[in-house]
Amino acid sequence: MLGDDTIIEVLEVRGQTVRIGIDAPRAVPVYREEIWLEVKRENQAAAEAAASGELPDVSGRLGS
Amino acid sequence: MSLTIESSRFGRVDIDPQAVLEFPEGLIGLGGSRYALLANDPDTPFLWLQSLDDPSLALPVTNPHQFFAEYAVEVIDEDAERLGFDQSSAMDVYVTVRAAPVLEDFTANLKAPILVRAGTAYQVINQAPGCELRARLFAAPNGASTPDADPAC
Repeated sequence: MLGDDTIIEVLEVRGQTVRIGIDAPRAVPVYREEIWLEVKRENQAAAEAAASGELPDVSGRLGS
Repeated sequence: MSLTIESSRFGRVDIDPQAVLEFPEGLIGLGGSRYALLANDPDTPFLWLQSLDDPSLALPVTNPHQFFAEYAVEVIDEDAERLGFDQSSAMDVYVTVRAAPVLEDFTANLKAPILVRAGTAYQVINQAPGCELRARLFAAPNGASTPDADPAC
């Protein structure tokens, strides 16, 4: 379940392949599942990767 | 109306209402509908998206144009319609950043930018060809003068 009105359902698992069904209202764009999942993972990784609340001072390292 | 949260990462934070962004659809895969855009440190090009729904959720973001001057975003028609913008709409763009122990390994997600207009934000899939999910932000110290993608996509 995603949000209030989008349902993702695993239709079939065969070997390495998983078929996924998406039931979404018209207003929600449905991206290709693998891209959506990649972005989801990347978002999670970004949230986890910064070990502290500090990010580096990069002055001098920015491109022109 | 001011807002104070207990962030896992930053402790007690007073949120300027102007910094609150509504994400009607959340960040892709993470949910949450309200985030604050925190500019904690003026010395870095990075900002934080702190979830107001989940105190433990915060992601670093940056303005991609600081790193990739040519960065462009193309969205599908449904997104354009949903965001209610046309060619002339002013909009801020941010991308999530994956931090790493060394700067050379910092990457930004150019594939899924966050578009912000008038306090409302959507993370969309960029249809411009060649946009990387993990684009390096900094060149190796002894390497080329620019990151590996310029133009980024």
